[in-house]
Amino acid sequence: MDMARRSGWRLETALIVLILVLAVLSLMVGPAGLSPKAALAGLIDGAGPAGIIVREIRLPRTLLALLIGATLGLSGAALQGLLRNPLAEPALFGAPQAAAAAASFMIAFSFASATSLMVPLAGIAGALVSIGGLVAIAGRRATLTVTLLAGLAFASFAGAMTALILNLAPNPYAALEIAFWLLGSLEDRSTDHLLIAAPFCLVSWILLAANARAFRALTLGEDAAASLGVDLGRVRLMVVVGVALGVGAAVAVAGSIGFVGLVAPHLVRRAVGSDPARVLLPGALAGAALLMVADIAVRALPAADELRVGVVTALIGVPFFLAMIFSERRLLEGAPS
Amino acid sequence: MNAGAAAPALSAADVSVRLTGALIVDRATLELKAGELTALIGPNGAGKTTLMRALAGLLPAEGRIALNGRTLAALSAGERARNIAYLPQGNVFHWPMSVAAVVALGRHPHADAFSPLSDADRTAVGRALAATAVEPWAARAVTTLSGGERARVALARALATQAPILLADEPTMSLDPRHQLVVMDLLARAAHDGGAVLAIVHDLALAARFADRVVMMERGRLVADGAPREVLTPQRIAAVFGVDAVITDSAVGPIPILRRPL
Repeated sequence: MDMARRSGWRLETALIVLILVLAVLSLMVGPAGLSPKAALAGLIDGAGPAGIIVREIRLPRTLLALLIGATLGLSGAALQGLLRNPLAEPALFGAPQAAAAAASFMIAFSFASATSLMVPLAGIAGALVSIGGLVAIAGRRATLTVTLLAGLAFASFAGAMTALILNLAPNPYAALEIAFWLLGSLEDRSTDHLLIAAPFCLVSWILLAANARAFRALTLGEDAAASLGVDLGRVRLMVVVGVALGVGAAVAVAGSIGFVGLVAPHLVRRAVGSDPARVLLPGALAGAALLMVADIAVRALPAADELRVGVVTALIGVPFFLAMIFSERRLLEGAPS
Repeated sequence: MNAGAAAPALSAADVSVRLTGALIVDRATLELKAGELTALIGPNGAGKTTLMRALAGLLPAEGRIALNGRTLAALSAGERARNIAYLPQGNVFHWPMSVAAVVALGRHPHADAFSPLSDADRTAVGRALAATAVEPWAARAVTTLSGGERARVALARALATQAPILLADEPTMSLDPRHQLVVMDLLARAAHDGGAVLAIVHDLALAARFADRVVMMERGRLVADGAPREVLTPQRIAAVFGVDAVITDSAVGPIPILRRPL
C-alpha cells in the first residue's frame, strides 16, 4: 500500500507538470501563433497585441479547459465509485444533455442572456434531474444494464427536449446559436464565463472528494459499506448534487462536452491499484489534461472553421467506450449484474 | 473478553421486519453471547438474511435490538460499525483492489477522512491476514483469486474490524468442502477468542459440527434455539426442511445425515 501511495504521488506530479506544459502550449496556439517566450511575456506584462491575445483570449480559455476538464474527470470517477462501475460517465447518463436542454430553454425563450447566472442554474437543475433520477432508478444493486438503459432513456429524452426547444424557438438566430453552442466549445470565452462556472465547480469538487472513503468501502457492495458506517443516502445525495453542479455549470459555459469522465479515470486507474478513492485526484488531473489537449488540437488542426472541442471529445470518447465494452464484454455477459 | 460471558452482546426482542408490506421476520427473540458461534438455519425464504440485516442495523425493524443493553437505533453509524461486523452473501468485490487494501476496509469505522492507517489499524489488518492465511496474496488483485480464496479475504476484512459481534450471511456458500471447513473453523475460532458470532448456514452437518448453538427459522419465526443436539432432531428437520434425516454419532459428534426429501 505504501508503494502504491508513493507511485501515486509520482503520477500526480507528472500530471501537474503535463498540465503546466499544456497550459503554455495553449497560450501559444491559435490563429496568431506565438513563441513560448512571447506567450509568457504577454501573460506577464500584458503589453501589445500578444498581451491582449494571451490575457483576454487564451488565458480564460486555457483556465476554462482546466476547470471543466478536471470537473468532468472527477465527476466520472465519482460516479464510477458510487455505482461501482468503470463505464459510468455523466454523458452516458444524460447529465450534459439534460443540462443543455434546460439551458437551451432559457436562451431560446430569452429568459436569459448567455452569460447570466440563470443559464448555469438551469443547467444544474437539468443535470440534477437526470442524475438524481438515474441513481434513484438504478437503486440498491445498481446493475450495469439497468443503469445504462436508464441513462440512455434520460439522454434520449433530454435530446428530444432540446430538439423541441430548437423547433419552437421564436428566433431562428437563437436556434442557430444554441445548435452551435450544444456542440461544446471553449472558443471566445471570457473571464466572465470562468467566474460563472468556477464557484459551482469548486463546490462540486468538495462534495465529490468528501466521499472518497465511501467509494472505497462501496467496492464491497452497498450492504457491506453501510455496515462499515457509510451513510448511503447521504453519499448518493452528495454525489448527485456534486455531479449536477459541476456538469451543469460546465455545460452552461462550454456546451456539451462528453466522455472526458469516462476516459480520464480509466487512464489512471491501474496506476492507483483500482482504488476508487485514490483515482479521484489523478482522474481530475487527467481530465484537465485531456480537455486541454483536445482544445489545443482544435486550434492546431488546419480547418476552414474551428472544430468544436465537444465534437472531438465525442469522436475520441465513443470509440473508447466501445473498446471498453469490448474488453469487458466477457464480464458483462457472464456476470449476474 | 471474559466479562461478558453471561450477558448477551447483541439481543433481539420481538423483532419484526416488513419488506414492502410483507411480514418477513415475525417477532424474533434472540440473544448472541460472547464466546459463542451460533448457526442460523432454515429453508430458503425463511427470513434469515432479513433478520441478519436487521440485527446489523441495516433495516428498520419493529421490536428492540440492543447492543450491550443499548438500543441499536440510538447508536451512531460509526459506533454500530465498530461493534458489529457484517459479512454479506456472495463475497462481492467490485474493483480489482489489492487483498491488503480490501482487508484494510475493515478499519473504515476506526479511521477518519484525513488519517491514513494507524499502527493499531496495521496490527489489526496484519492479524486478520494471518488468521485467514491470505498474507501470501496481500499484493494481488482480489478479483484474480478463486472463490475459496475470496471467501477468506472477505472474512479477513470482517475480522479486521475487530468488532465484538460478527454476523456472516452464508459464509460457506459455493465453497469446496475444504474451504467450507476452513471458513467454519475460522468463525469458531473468532467466537472462542471472545466474539459473538452468528452465521447463516445451509449445511446442517456443518452447523452440527461447528456451532455452539443452533437457531432454526421457519417462515419468519424462530422455531428452535439451543445446543445442536437439541435442535437438530429428525422430527424438526422433517417438519422444517421436509427432509428425512437420521442423526449419526461420529468422531466429531452427532451429525445429521439427510436421506431423502419427504
